[in-house]
Amino acid sequence: MSFLAPWFLLGGLAVAAPLVFHLIRRTTRERTPFGSLMFLFPTPPRITRRSRLEHLILLVLRCVAICLLAVGFGRPFLKKTVASPPAPGSARRIVLLVDTSASMRRANLWAQARARAESILRSVSSADQVALFAFDRQVRPLVTFEQWNAAPGGERAALALGKLAANPPGWSGTRLGDALITAAEALADSSGKASASAGRLILLTDLQEGSHLEPLQGYEWPRGVELSVEALKPGRSSNASLQWMAEAGDSGAKGAASLRVRVGNAADSRREQFQVGWARPGGGFVGESKTLYVPPGQSRVVALPTPSAGDPVDRVVLRGDDEDFDDTVFAVAAETARLKVLYLGAEAEQDPKQPLYFLRRAFQETRRQVVQVLAHSPTAALGAAEARDALLFIVADPLPGETCDAIRVQLAAGKTALVVLKSTALASTLAGLLGLDRVSLEETRPDSYAMLAQIDFRHPLFAPFADPRFSDFTRVHFWKYRRLDPAAIPGARVVAGFDSGAPALLEVPAGKGRVLVLTSGWQPADSQLALSTKFVPLLYSILEQSGAPDPAPAQYRVGDVVPLPSLAVGERSAAVLRLPDGSQAELAAGQTNFSQTTMPGIYTVVSAQPARRFAVNLDPAESRTLPLSVDELERMGAPVSRQGPAAAYEVRRKIRLENAELESRQKLWRWFAVTALGVLLFETWLAGRTGRRLAVQGGATS
Amino acid sequence: MTKPAFNPSLPAARLIDPRALMTIRNLELRARVVVEGFWNGIHRSPYHGFSVEFTEYRQYTPDDDPRYLDWRVFARSDRYFIKKFEDETNLRCYLLSDTSRSMAYGSVGYTKAQYAATLAATLAYFLHLQGDAVGLLTFDRQLREYLPARHRAGHLRHLMLTLGQPAAGSATDLAVPLRRVAELVRKRGLVVLLSDFLAPLDRLERDLAALAACGHEVVVFQILDPAELAFTFENPALFEDVESGRTLFLDPAAARKEYLRRLEAHCAGLRATCGRLGAACHRLETTRPLELALFDVLRQRMRRRTQVRRAGRYGPNHA
Repeated sequence: MSFLAPWFLLGGLAVAAPLVFHLIRRTTRERTPFGSLMFLFPTPPRITRRSRLEHLILLVLRCVAICLLAVGFGRPFLKKTVASPPAPGSARRIVLLVDTSASMRRANLWAQARARAESILRSVSSADQVALFAFDRQVRPLVTFEQWNAAPGGERAALALGKLAANPPGWSGTRLGDALITAAEALADSSGKASASAGRLILLTDLQEGSHLEPLQGYEWPRGVELSVEALKPGRSSNASLQWMAEAGDSGAKGAASLRVRVGNAADSRREQFQVGWARPGGGFVGESKTLYVPPGQSRVVALPTPSAGDPVDRVVLRGDDEDFDDTVFAVAAETARLKVLYLGAEAEQDPKQPLYFLRRAFQETRRQVVQVLAHSPTAALGAAEARDALLFIVADPLPGETCDAIRVQLAAGKTALVVLKSTALASTLAGLLGLDRVSLEETRPDSYAMLAQIDFRHPLFAPFADPRFSDFTRVHFWKYRRLDPAAIPGARVVAGFDSGAPALLEVPAGKGRVLVLTSGWQPADSQLALSTKFVPLLYSILEQSGAPDPAPAQYRVGDVVPLPSLAVGERSAAVLRLPDGSQAELAAGQTNFSQTTMPGIYTVVSAQPARRFAVNLDPAESRTLPLSVDELERMGAPVSRQGPAAAYEVRRKIRLENAELESRQKLWRWFAVTALGVLLFETWLAGRTGRRLAVQGGATS
Repeated sequence: MTKPAFNPSLPAARLIDPRALMTIRNLELRARVVVEGFWNGIHRSPYHGFSVEFTEYRQYTPDDDPRYLDWRVFARSDRYFIKKFEDETNLRCYLLSDTSRSMAYGSVGYTKAQYAATLAATLAYFLHLQGDAVGLLTFDRQLREYLPARHRAGHLRHLMLTLGQPAAGSATDLAVPLRRVAELVRKRGLVVLLSDFLAPLDRLERDLAALAACGHEVVVFQILDPAELAFTFENPALFEDVESGRTLFLDPAAARKEYLRRLEAHCAGLRATCGRLGAACHRLETTRPLELALFDVLRQRMRRRTQVRRAGRYGPNHA
């Protein structure tokens, strides 16, 4: 029999109390009046043999009751044999998971990690199997079990350490949850299912707040995989961070733009005063820096005026921080996209009755986008360069066959042509653009007016108008239009139709590009479209569908995939990029995504004309360097085992828990308590009976 | 006439059990019962001759002065009795009753104070019957009540009422009341001191000597409870002094021997003191029948009279 609370057995020493009380003559608290105490002197109670003999049964009962209570309070239970943990000498499978995220660049964390890894690798026995994984956003196996086993016994540790030294911390964020799952799965998969203990996972990390443990929440940890955490602590703890918020003033045409950055200070930081400002590569501040007071645990957002395009500054730097790995934000100056729209029409530019007049005024120049409408006479020959530069072709007058062919080449490459059917004379041109023999057009003049009645709001052109607030096209009246039969055009899709059923806007695919056919003009002679509020958004929608870049600049983080579609489409050769460290990377032909964003900085697509630049910054989560508690991992379901005294404590705690469970199941204390109660009841009855008998005897003698 | 010694081992049935006596609430009635019992006992007793002298009644014999014939007795009994009252009528008896708190102790159903009051009442009643003047002084540390010795109608009742008051005094101090008696009572008389004498006896001899020097005949009754005499307690307990309230935890078995020794030494000291002063000292256990106490007083009186008579007959010159 074992005891959950054996110290309560000391209560059994209380049996001395009844023993002593029985040895001492019974005393009474009642006062006995007496005539005079002048002849009396105090005498202490004496131990008598008589009392011990008289109440022996009572004494035994009381002692038994006390002993039973002491044993009951000791929470007794009958111990059963528990499966013992595997002997420490047996072969183990160990996965060493090393954090190589950007936050590991702090202070001496990486040196600590290497030293710790070395001590672990040197301490494993020859029978042990070890795999070495590194992780940041992704898990990279540096040494697999197979490589470990294949290496000679004496060189295994050196092999692993060499691999580790070759993989210093990068600039990526930390996905600890994913890494743990991957490593645990690898450990569980590699070990046989029969073995009770799959292995041990040793995690070397700074366990920062921004480690992204969320994936662990829904993950069922494999049985037998034991997790040990070696939390590395930097010597210095002050860390402030810089984060690119958003660029203000995107909509302003020429106004002064600014870059907004957030300066955050870690909760355990000891510094509060910082300077922030634009800087040159490797140099000091350019212009005036801003001095900020940021208390620990708080953050401030500061707007910095965007430097002019000619200024070579490309980064915002934070000074006054101990850890500088997250003190730089790279930002490229906003580049103005110059888009060309080629208008093929013969009308005069200043004639307010013609479409060109309205077209020129529809596109507004912004800081990010300048749309150039180039009027081209239909009769003049269209140059190849001119056709290539144009993003959108707008055909308003009949074109000769050569021009149509030149446009068709561009359409096949993915560009868009908008054919505005001002008159039925455009039938041959439309047929030429679509590659048809002929297209029949019929001039239609409704009795009063026609209006758009069947609009496909799911089409990207009209998707911006899908909201009921903007979907009312009934105020746009069309006085006349040209009826054509969409069935006669293969692949034609009616995007919008008039209330008479005739198509108003058709989309016809042509190669990779497409031809949009507007069966009425927007000039006042044909319709009210140019004068309506729908005109400009519709034109921008067409422009966007033609391949205009997104006006909102994208922010990229280290490890993100950067889409470069326009480059890949435009050039069939591989794109060449210059990385922030000066090296070059090539994008394979046909690929539209660049994924080698391994470091923060300015990436330049040197093969593009002009060279296109984009900035890649550090994951803001890496700046949350406050260390997490290991308990957080346990809370997420990862069974963390402690080492050294902590491990022994854990074992003791486990045994204690098992014992407590056994005890709570058996509940032997109840029996002891009930027995003690029974004994006490009997003792009470016996004591009362004895007392009465003594009283009767006393009465008889007196 | 022979003077047979009084045998205290008289059949118990003839004596009145104090327990039964104490059930009578009226003190005067109690005294009367005792005295009448005493009388009856005397008349039925084989010591008739003794009692005549003892009670100062004597059958007429030739050569007796007929002036002293008690005609009332003759009228009732048709016998001649000589009543010698010249001495007795002059007797002034002062009963000094201790009412200190220690007297309020009793283990037999009544207290020493009740016993003392009954004894005092008995003596008073008896003396009153004889036509003697009886006075009363109650005291604890000082004089509480004082009734001068008188023999008149109503005095006895007044005396009984005074005796019937409960004992509510404080500690015992014999010096003050004895000195006060010596001051108050100038005429010679009988002084009966009723107390447990559970107090230091340092100055008792001096004060008693002052009384004796005044010519008083002093009879001392030390009234003690059986528990005080035998210390029959068995279990260890907290003993409380009823007089001072002081408590003492003790084991009676261990303390009994020493207690009895000290008590006996105290009593011996009291007896020695009384002996030196010619005072009679009687130790009365509260279970002792009161008739015997009355008998003790009378015997004391008789002894003293005999001594006086002898001294007068033979005189110092004879010696």
